[in-house]
Amino acid sequence: MIELLLENKELIKIIYALAIMFICAFIVLKTDRLFQLSLHRGIRYFRNAFFFYGVGFFIRYILSPYLPNYFFIFSLFEFFLVTAGFFLLYSLLWKNFEDPNKKSTSSLFNPKIFIFYLMSAVIVLLDYFWQTYYFLFLSQIIIFLIVGAISYSKYLQDKVKHKFMKQYSFAMMLSLSAWVLNALASFWFSWNLLAIIIVYLLNIIIFLLFLYGVLKFTRQR
Amino acid sequence: MTRKRERLEVIKDVLESVRANRKIKPTRLLYASNLSPQMFKEYISELIEKEFIKLEIDDDKKSAKQEKRFFVLTKKGFEFLQEYKIIEGFVQNFGL
Repeated sequence: MIELLLENKELIKIIYALAIMFICAFIVLKTDRLFQLSLHRGIRYFRNAFFFYGVGFFIRYILSPYLPNYFFIFSLFEFFLVTAGFFLLYSLLWKNFEDPNKKSTSSLFNPKIFIFYLMSAVIVLLDYFWQTYYFLFLSQIIIFLIVGAISYSKYLQDKVKHKFMKQYSFAMMLSLSAWVLNALASFWFSWNLLAIIIVYLLNIIIFLLFLYGVLKFTRQR
Repeated sequence: MTRKRERLEVIKDVLESVRANRKIKPTRLLYASNLSPQMFKEYISELIEKEFIKLEIDDDKKSAKQEKRFFVLTKKGFEFLQEYKIIEGFVQNFGL
């Protein structure tokens, strides 16, 4: 079994990336109408997160054979991944920093979002100069710890007790576990294939959970 | 204490008032919307810009004193009201 997996390692990576990209594209397209009608900024930041995840995976797994060097590709991938995490976090917090009653400005080019780009760039540069993944893992573990805690506290405060909110915080906790396992696989198990496959599976389950939520709540009644 | 309505909720309330009356005079809509004149103006410009409502002029009115302008709901406005529950459900379930 392990031999078979090892032989098809590259194929597994491509299937994994295609699955994530397909889910991200589907989420972005499926939420487009809701966003166009409402111009709700939370929906916009949520969509941005999946757009950035999709682009990141496209660069890392599909475009990589055509780009010059590994560190450049990985740095780009890391930048999109970290920024996507920030967008996911900000989609839950934006009401604390922006007036929901004011007309929205661009969600990609505004001073608050530039702070995320800057922080992502700093994380990428730190990893680049130290030739490590330490800052990527650390940043993602911190982000998903916070996102998990916020979404769970939102569920506890929710008077209607929307069931999906609990599943959403569960997905965030799964993301946290996937990043912890990824860090362990990198630092202690020298990229053990089994650990990596578990991370891939966890990530696919997490993205499928998001997709399930999007499909469930965008369905016409 | 009453809760402050969110932007999306205000839009829904304004559009529902227009729908309920089929066509409604600006002054009546201002009262029905429960907004300050300044906020009302902003929301109405946005709704016209987004093509959710449109302003129609009624030429049949006899006296010049009678208000001739009415707001009516557009197809896009109807669609928004139909999908409002979906948008609300999505936003609440994802905690956005």
